[in-house]
Amino acid sequence: MENRKTIKFYIALWLAKFSTKILKLLKRNATSFPGDLAIKICPNFLGILEKPKTIIGITGTNGKTTVSNMINDILTENGYDFVNNKYGSNIDRGITTTLINASDMHGRTKKELAVLEIDERSANKVYPYLTPKYLICTNIFRDSLMRNAHTEFIADILTKYIPKETTMIENADDIICSHIAENNKRIFFGIDRLDTDTTYFENITRDIRICPKCHAKLEYDYVRYHHIGKAHCPNCDYKTPDADYLVTNIDFKKLKMTVKCKEKEEDYNLITNNIINIYNILAVIALLKEMGLSHKKINESISKLKIVETRFSEENYKGIRILTHLAKGMNPIACSRAFDYTRKEPGNKAVILILDDLHEDKSGSENTAWQYDTDYEFLNNDLIKQIIVAGPRYLDSNVRLLMAGVPKEKIVYKKNEIEATETLNLNNIDSVFILHDLYSIEETKNIKNKVKELIDEKGNKSNEN
Amino acid sequence: MKIEVLFPEVANLNGDLSNIDYLKKCLNDDVEIIETSLNDKPAFATQKDINLMYMGSMSEKAQEIVIEKLKPYVDKLDELEFEKKVFLMTGNALEILGKFIENEDESKIRAVGLYHFYAQRDMMHRYSGYYLGKHNDIDIVGFKAQFSKLYGNNDECYFAKTKLGIGINDDTDCEGLQKGNFIGVDLLGPFLIMNPLFTKELLGLMGVKEPKLAFEEEVIAAYNERLDKFKKMAAKQKKKKKR
Repeated sequence: MENRKTIKFYIALWLAKFSTKILKLLKRNATSFPGDLAIKICPNFLGILEKPKTIIGITGTNGKTTVSNMINDILTENGYDFVNNKYGSNIDRGITTTLINASDMHGRTKKELAVLEIDERSANKVYPYLTPKYLICTNIFRDSLMRNAHTEFIADILTKYIPKETTMIENADDIICSHIAENNKRIFFGIDRLDTDTTYFENITRDIRICPKCHAKLEYDYVRYHHIGKAHCPNCDYKTPDADYLVTNIDFKKLKMTVKCKEKEEDYNLITNNIINIYNILAVIALLKEMGLSHKKINESISKLKIVETRFSEENYKGIRILTHLAKGMNPIACSRAFDYTRKEPGNKAVILILDDLHEDKSGSENTAWQYDTDYEFLNNDLIKQIIVAGPRYLDSNVRLLMAGVPKEKIVYKKNEIEATETLNLNNIDSVFILHDLYSIEETKNIKNKVKELIDEKGNKSNEN
Repeated sequence: MKIEVLFPEVANLNGDLSNIDYLKKCLNDDVEIIETSLNDKPAFATQKDINLMYMGSMSEKAQEIVIEKLKPYVDKLDELEFEKKVFLMTGNALEILGKFIENEDESKIRAVGLYHFYAQRDMMHRYSGYYLGKHNDIDIVGFKAQFSKLYGNNDECYFAKTKLGIGINDDTDCEGLQKGNFIGVDLLGPFLIMNPLFTKELLGLMGVKEPKLAFEEEVIAAYNERLDKFKKMAAKQKKKKKR
């Protein structure tokens, strides 16, 4: 591909930079439009634009943003000067916008390092134009079936477009992820068998059941969740690879883990007991160790990390825990993991679900097929005393809960989220879980405030008595 | 009552298997589910008392594996269709029974060949849309999300006449296929849960004398709300076309 700077390129660059200034003056979001404009004017703009010498990419179905945020925080803490798309979109135009912001008027980069979250579905629009030195792939699961179709499709486009020079950092325990870009240099991270692992499958969804090479049924030594675990084909050499960075021990109470690499064991602090985020932290450790950061520096920085509140928050309000947990709608795995976490937390619980994309309703109804790939069955649990569903697809969600075996009397379903929350029954409830979508942050805040009001009311009533 | 689910280890995308879970609940669990895997001989080949055969959505590679597994049974399938046995296919499962599937590079995968139609794939342009159509007197609602579309005349053997969205491809309002009781639709996911009236019809075809729906009230409420919404969308679409 011709990567010479042309007049078209300069016009695209200058107009993009100019539009950024205007949008900022208008206090509008300038995270995607400038890149979009540049690509429209000059289709191979991203290829021509000078990029930082070292690019770290983060891709995969779930955990991209969390991993990127952690890397950003740790590199900042350790004095690295770099550009990232934390506030921009993770598709080609967002990445282009980020790199335009890091370049001068001649299209020369002002930074030596970039940390880029890259949407897996955008592989064909990004990798032909930039070559990450390291690319973390967190995992590959089924996601929005409208956009991402299925895991074979995503794994195939990643393998097809990821540059051969890129060193992959892949999740060994995800047998789909760990076979992407097989001809590249690959480093694997994984977690050794845990007490909670099983030899049976509990989830509805398992994105790989047969060997892609010989079509024999895959056998699992142990199952963690969905297709995560240790698997092998009984017929050929297809199997879960050995991890280069292997968690050999997790102390969930003390929030510590031991990572073994090249026969050396190192202890790290954890900031969460959630297995999903332990995988995310491990991916970050593998990358930073490859970059040459010391165990001491990484561990000190990890201790200071915080999971972004819009993803997870916990507050004890007058004796009742209120937890908010992101459960991305249309993403059956993210929702199933949130349901699994909810059911396994101790005490009596009430659950408020606002999983539908409220914004989608404006343009019509989103495909609800994902609900039946999601383990609503996990919410059919004795410790979950009430489930409140709200949002545009409240009737579908009610049916899904009934299909999961949840008794009718436990379910409240209403379209309006505040009206629904008003029905919350706090009797004998230790925790209220609000499981929400990525685009329902405002609604989640309102629900949380309503829950607090109801707790206050309950407190006042018991004082009166 | 017996239901054979074909190749659930691969034909399990988009929550399609929930259709079987729903039938199970409608039948109060009084049903034997035979899960035929890729290494098994299909039960329909030897057992005469199967009330429903079902095959759901799958990946493109899985389609190619399933084609090879079903090719030896093309005559048997023909016979079963003639005998009015019931076979339901959702998502891209129907493509397997056609003549061939064509890739973007014009290479062709010979399919089972029971039917005259063929599919064309376009892996970089996924079609997604809502669906409303009429099957006999029943309004059918649903979703489509697919890389491929079917071609070939189905004017005489369609499953539903489209009111919102597209038929088997952009140029026809004839959706799916019904030959005897072999029914195939591009619609995916919880098709039977979303279409309780059709589910009753299907249970009747399967031989249930007085079909009853599980969670009837709730399922009908969700159906009616979606139907109302899709009818409004269809009216808007019609207006736009007129303009």
